Amino acid sequence: MIAVEGLTKAYGSRLALDHVSFEVPEREIFGFVGPNGAGKTTTLRILAALLEPTGGRAFIDGADVTREREKVHTRIGYMPDFFGVYDQLSVGEYLDFYAACYRQPKQRRQKIVDDLLALVGMTERKGQLVDTLSRGLKQRVCLARALVHDPAVLLLDEPASGLDPRARVEMREILKELQRMGKTIVISSHILPELTELCTMVGIIDHGRMRATGSVRDVIARLTSGRRLRITVIAEKDAAIEILEPLPAVKHVQAVNGTIEAEYEGDEVTASEILATLTGAGIRVSSFTPVDGGLEDAFLRATSEEVG
Amino acid sequence: MNPIARTLWNPIVAKEYRSRMRTWRSPLTITIHVIVLGGIGWAVFSAIANSVAGFGSSGGGVSPSSMGILLFTFLILFQIVLLAFITPALTSGAISGERERQTIDLLFVTPLAPFSIIWGKLLASMSFVVLLLVLSVPIFSLVFLFGGIELDQVVAAFALTAVTAMTLGFVGVAFSTFFKRTLAATVASYGAAFVMLVGSPGFGLLFPTEYDARAAVVPAPPALALISPVVPLLVIASGQPVSTYGTRASVDSQLQLSKGAGNGACVGLPNGGVSCSSNGGFSGYSPGTGTASPGTTLHTGFLAGLQYWQASIVMQLMICAVALALSALLLPPIRRFGWRRNRAPAAEPA
Repeated sequence: MIAVEGLTKAYGSRLALDHVSFEVPEREIFGFVGPNGAGKTTTLRILAALLEPTGGRAFIDGADVTREREKVHTRIGYMPDFFGVYDQLSVGEYLDFYAACYRQPKQRRQKIVDDLLALVGMTERKGQLVDTLSRGLKQRVCLARALVHDPAVLLLDEPASGLDPRARVEMREILKELQRMGKTIVISSHILPELTELCTMVGIIDHGRMRATGSVRDVIARLTSGRRLRITVIAEKDAAIEILEPLPAVKHVQAVNGTIEAEYEGDEVTASEILATLTGAGIRVSSFTPVDGGLEDAFLRATSEEVG
Repeated sequence: MNPIARTLWNPIVAKEYRSRMRTWRSPLTITIHVIVLGGIGWAVFSAIANSVAGFGSSGGGVSPSSMGILLFTFLILFQIVLLAFITPALTSGAISGERERQTIDLLFVTPLAPFSIIWGKLLASMSFVVLLLVLSVPIFSLVFLFGGIELDQVVAAFALTAVTAMTLGFVGVAFSTFFKRTLAATVASYGAAFVMLVGSPGFGLLFPTEYDARAAVVPAPPALALISPVVPLLVIASGQPVSTYGTRASVDSQLQLSKGAGNGACVGLPNGGVSCSSNGGFSGYSPGTGTASPGTTLHTGFLAGLQYWQASIVMQLMICAVALALSALLLPPIRRFGWRRNRAPAAEPA
């Protein structure tokens, strides 16, 4: 559905995007993760045909974003990270205006507006001036606005930024519902735990380069699996920590809720050697489990080292 | 709806109407416009009445028709000045305001063409100006109490005023598209309004068209001097040409003429009047016959055959076309110019 090939954007001598490539199949939610200034917004603006790339190509449902802008605009719903609203317009009028801009027939627009307001849970706010809404409600209206022409692809730039926890949960539920409706969604965010729950795919970008991309499970496994151990011992927890700490492969040890978590460098052989050291010292180990890190771990690792 | 109709009547027009008329600024602007214009009319009317009373029962030779012409002249010129203040304020934030409000990207991702966006903004602003003009009609009707002004003169003056406001609007939108900030666009728009209303007549005074004093036909002023509506409005109001405005008899021809005529440099005008000039400046109305045409018609240049106000409209429409084209060209987020081609820089080593 979305294909990005070697996308590059230069501002003078500074490269904002450096040969970024990724693909998003249909009906996937792609989480675009990166620190501020990494190139997330630049990528989304290029995908929305609002910015011309210096090099590379990108396609939305087969339409080239640099050559078929009109087609792209009919196939995407774009929600920028910062956006304004028109004062003096009610929520219903605001959505009706954009539906008209997208050339929706007048007799259908009322139903479109009502359906979208129901989808984002704002039916009772239809007559309220859009400028008087809270940020969370404005975000919802803007999401509804992006849907007025029933696009196949949604490009959402930080849709949850500035929202309180409840509003974030509600936004997440709306996005899940949109996925069930068959939308392909690209969502940039720096709120990683939410992306882990929401996204099916993830791309980690830093300094304009794509550090890792793939399914959430694969990326996390690739970047973090086997590097953290959760060890449960019978009674000799302090002794076990004293044995683990001096080991050269072990980088950090801490007690967490009755268990021991140890970070180490190495592979499965290293892990088995750590276990052998503990049992050889007479520590009774009841469980010894490699722990997968979360997206946050993967992100930190991806942005602190080069990933092939 | 066909594509042309869809472009000319697009959702932005309706949205602009709705949001513009819901603010307190619109009724306030309308009220101030009518009060100021009405006040000017009342002040001029009072001044005329007092001056007539001062001359006693004889009336001092001031006829009702000349009172009507004077009142009309003041009203139409003040209306132009008022619109020169109002129109840039209406249009200079049209696009830059969208940028500042961060709503412009949301328009760019719709199928609306840049021209449609510009046109929608212009149409909404110009409709408001037309509303102001319509509301001023009752004030102008006072003129008919005195006579001296015909309906066709009023229509011509209103047409020129409307086109002037439109030109100021188009230029304002062009600046709004060019500048990112509304403040800069507003300053530039007011600067353009000043240049148009004052600079253009000044150009005619400083750089008049030179002609042979013995020529049978007085040439037209420079085309740039006709952009301003001020002189054409004076011509409409008086029904007479401004004889030597924007023209100057060459020194040699004046000398030769003075040798032949005895003294002075006097030029016979096509309408039967005679104009005497020594410096080529604004020397007032010619003592012509007093009818609108053909004395108010330009005789040379590419605007030959047109009356002053028609020539001004033509010049202004040309400015409108340029401003509209520039606006539509500058507005899109991705501008495609033939001479620019992007190339991907080489990838940095990982």
